[in-house]
Amino acid sequence: MMRAWVLPSLIGVKFKSGKFVGLGVLLVASFVAGLSQGAVSIPLLGLVNGSATELEQIVFAEIRAPRVFLAGFVGASLALSGAVLQGLFRNPLADPGLIGVSSGAAVGAISMIVLGAALSIPDWAEAYVMPLAAMSGAMAVTFLLYSFANYFGRFSVVTILLVGIALNAMAGVVIGLFQYVSDDAQLRTLVFWLMGSFSRAQWASVLPAIGVMVGASLVLLRQVKNLDRLQLGESEAYYLGVDVPRAKRHMILCSAAAVGAGVSLTGIIGFVGLVVPHLARLFLGSSHRLTLAGSVLIGASLMILADLLARTVMVPEELPVSLVTNAIGAPFFLWLIARAARS
Amino acid sequence: MRSIVLLLSCLIAQQLLAEESCQRAPDPSRIAIAGGSITEVLYFLGEEERIVAVDRTSNFPQAALDLPQIGYVRGLSTEGLLSLKPTLVLGEDDMGPPEVLAQLTQTGIDTVRVKEVHTAQGILNKVRCVANVLSLENAELVAAEARLVSQLNALESVTVSKQSPTAILVLMFQEGAAIAGGENTSADGMLRMAGIKNALVDVKGWKPLSAESLIKANPDYLILTDRAVSAAGGLDKVYQTPGVRLTNAGKHQHLVQMDGMSMLGFGPRTLSAALRLSEITQEK
Repeated sequence: MMRAWVLPSLIGVKFKSGKFVGLGVLLVASFVAGLSQGAVSIPLLGLVNGSATELEQIVFAEIRAPRVFLAGFVGASLALSGAVLQGLFRNPLADPGLIGVSSGAAVGAISMIVLGAALSIPDWAEAYVMPLAAMSGAMAVTFLLYSFANYFGRFSVVTILLVGIALNAMAGVVIGLFQYVSDDAQLRTLVFWLMGSFSRAQWASVLPAIGVMVGASLVLLRQVKNLDRLQLGESEAYYLGVDVPRAKRHMILCSAAAVGAGVSLTGIIGFVGLVVPHLARLFLGSSHRLTLAGSVLIGASLMILADLLARTVMVPEELPVSLVTNAIGAPFFLWLIARAARS
Repeated sequence: MRSIVLLLSCLIAQQLLAEESCQRAPDPSRIAIAGGSITEVLYFLGEEERIVAVDRTSNFPQAALDLPQIGYVRGLSTEGLLSLKPTLVLGEDDMGPPEVLAQLTQTGIDTVRVKEVHTAQGILNKVRCVANVLSLENAELVAAEARLVSQLNALESVTVSKQSPTAILVLMFQEGAAIAGGENTSADGMLRMAGIKNALVDVKGWKPLSAESLIKANPDYLILTDRAVSAAGGLDKVYQTPGVRLTNAGKHQHLVQMDGMSMLGFGPRTLSAALRLSEITQEK
């Protein structure tokens, strides 16, 4: 909740104060809604005045709270990474999911699900191996994309989507291969993991991931000026004093780290990185200061609400959260294309 | 430093949770079940009033379908389960995800994982294990065990030898390919129980079979689940599947159709399914 207030001032946004207050309120509201609603009914008041049963307290503190925090941070990271990648590629359709970064992370994580047993990793390291593998996968794909872009000059909207299709297909091959060699139990873990869900949230694994996401996000947020200047073109940005290779390196590494840390715990969650930056731009304006800060706030709120929907619509079962985000995101994507085609 | 210690202890706790045991549950009055065979065992023992919810693999007996659903055996939801206020979550080997089970334990709900061994003795042990967890010591249990033991004895005379017929057990048809059980599958265990040699050698797990590998394996019998037959569009259509007609099973019309869960669930029904399968395949 602190972030809502600290963020804008942190990166020196000239306050569009009314709108940011509105977004802050939205985030706080979805946070409270996320914490107070669920299959088990917990009166928030009871937690405050101590009349809640022990079960209610545990459900709240150990099951619901880590989940809501994870959803918020993953939503913010995906949205922020999407906004940064859109700026870096100077392409409004760059989204970690569409261009293959999430799939790269998935390949990394899945390789650990399937091969992990053969590598005899000590128990204590297991919690870290998956996120690291996911981050490496995400980075590999981002680098690949970027070297493509460098080689051919600036990507057109169509090219980046086509390259994204190719990279997603390649990731699909690797995932399919892993599915083929995995045994029954691994296969089932893998299929559920691919669907995307926050149900695995536990403080022990959530906290390190949040650490990585916050660290990477802070670096990304410091890139606002560089991103604005990069919109003029790389050589122009260079003459305006941007250390272009360094800036790019930071953006690629940190967006991949933010996406990878999230994906390793939740599986692939689509469209957030695409839709949220556009919403932020529509609502706040196209300066990167506003877009990035807005993406963080909106991303966190939307993801918490999407997860809330996923876990409450068919109690006691749960929908995969990616089903919810895709249901919102896919039509939005079509609308974006229609809008681009008209202009 | 303290957070690292905390983290480590959490990880170790999770490791311990994976252990299987059949110890008496302190309060087995409200049970949520994750795993179709466990549901069958509870109905078999006449203890179905204790069930508050079942997972999606619990589709036998018919009555189980009317119980509240907790989703797929590997995709359980902590809060969803808690909302049903179970005192015990009883599941098969593969219930999960482990994070959810850890959270359940944290809230003081017993979780018991019943071991899965794909033999006749494994089935009897499974029933005994569940009975022990529920602290059952009644006449019904004795009668139920006696029924199983007599079937088990009947199966003991059925062994796999060189003269035994060979078969392939098909779970499903996917895009025309038969998904069949190799080594280390419930299908392999089922065939061995029924005194049949698995024609799929050197294949581990469930794998899609091409027409050519089906012909090469050349089973005497093709055993199909109901699901596989309906996916193919009927037994007639199975004969027309590439490869099937050229096997011994196809030539002699040795296609056997049975309920998948009764064969592969390794619940109480599986013993009689094995007996029936051995009768069908040995008589010809």
